[in-house]
Amino acid sequence: MAKLEPVGGKKLIKEWPTWILKKAKTVTHYGFIPLIIFIGMNTDPKPQLSQLLSPV
Amino acid sequence: MGSAVSYCSPQQIQTVDLCGSEGKAPESTNLPCPVKYEEINHEAYMSLKPGLFEGLRFDVYRSMNRKFGLSNSLFMGSVDLPDCAPDPLKQSTAHFELGANLIDQKGKMDVVLMMGRVLSKGCMSARVKCDITNRFSIKANAELTNEPHFSVGMFNFDYKGNDYQAQLTMGNSAFYSVNYTQRVTPKLSLGGEWMWFGHQRKSCMGLAARYQTDSVITTALVKSEGDICCTYIQKLSDKVLVASDFVYNWNSTEAVTSIAYDHLLNQYRIRGRIDTNLCTAAYLEEKISAGLTLVLSAELDHRKKDYKFGFGLTVGD
Repeated sequence: MAKLEPVGGKKLIKEWPTWILKKAKTVTHYGFIPLIIFIGMNTDPKPQLSQLLSPV
Repeated sequence: MGSAVSYCSPQQIQTVDLCGSEGKAPESTNLPCPVKYEEINHEAYMSLKPGLFEGLRFDVYRSMNRKFGLSNSLFMGSVDLPDCAPDPLKQSTAHFELGANLIDQKGKMDVVLMMGRVLSKGCMSARVKCDITNRFSIKANAELTNEPHFSVGMFNFDYKGNDYQAQLTMGNSAFYSVNYTQRVTPKLSLGGEWMWFGHQRKSCMGLAARYQTDSVITTALVKSEGDICCTYIQKLSDKVLVASDFVYNWNSTEAVTSIAYDHLLNQYRIRGRIDTNLCTAAYLEEKISAGLTLVLSAELDHRKKDYKFGFGLTVGD
């Protein structure tokens, strides 16, 4: 007799890659440029905060 | 009595295998590395397709240090709505773009390259490139929007051999692509590409050839979708070059030929183009002073009676 998996667990296994991709897309969308700015502000020679905020 | 056995390194054994006992390498091993398949006609399209625009563009580039820089861009103008024939329809648009770049180099290698751009409309593009070794690099590109099912993501794996380059691409919507270019002679490179679009259950392939000398670059590209594209560049001097292309689609039996020139001096660069659709274009970049560049763009389509003019300023390098 075939063993049946719980419906909820099977649904979770199928949907978790989609859930992870959605979260990764949101994190990349809002966090990628702040990440570049954070890494860049810690490279040598360290820029000043005023240089970052200045329009020119 | 000396030893009758002398040590022979693996490299020496390989050299003798390849070169014979005379030690002279065969010609096939001295071939330089070819360009990547996606860049096979890059030089021609730098002159034939400059970044024409319509409206006002204002760009500011700020270098924080040698590795990190920021960019701000403002655009106000019109964009053409696609598939609107015979009369082109335009849509007025304006957006502000914020960008950040990070480059970490070790010698001639870009160890890490990160580029991000975000528009005021909410679209975002991200690019990361990482050189794992001198020969192997990984790239990731993403174009993200707030609209569902319009975001695109892609991974590229590039391998650079002595006289060949290969690339594997994987993208969302089950997109896969493989391309390969091989240097056949010192002047001739051949390449091929195969793509699979998983959701549409469609594949297509392309073949390319590139012939390059000191002053001439000729390329030919054939795609299974029905496109044949040939380009030709002739360098007339260090500052002037002319380019031409011929594009033919055998499904629609339409052909377009363009001729362009590219004149580069210390203070300015001007590119002009005319094609068989009676469309002329010109693009001028002039350095007014250190760090300030004027950009003028014009495109006149006499057949459709569509005339576009653009004016821009760029601050910073």
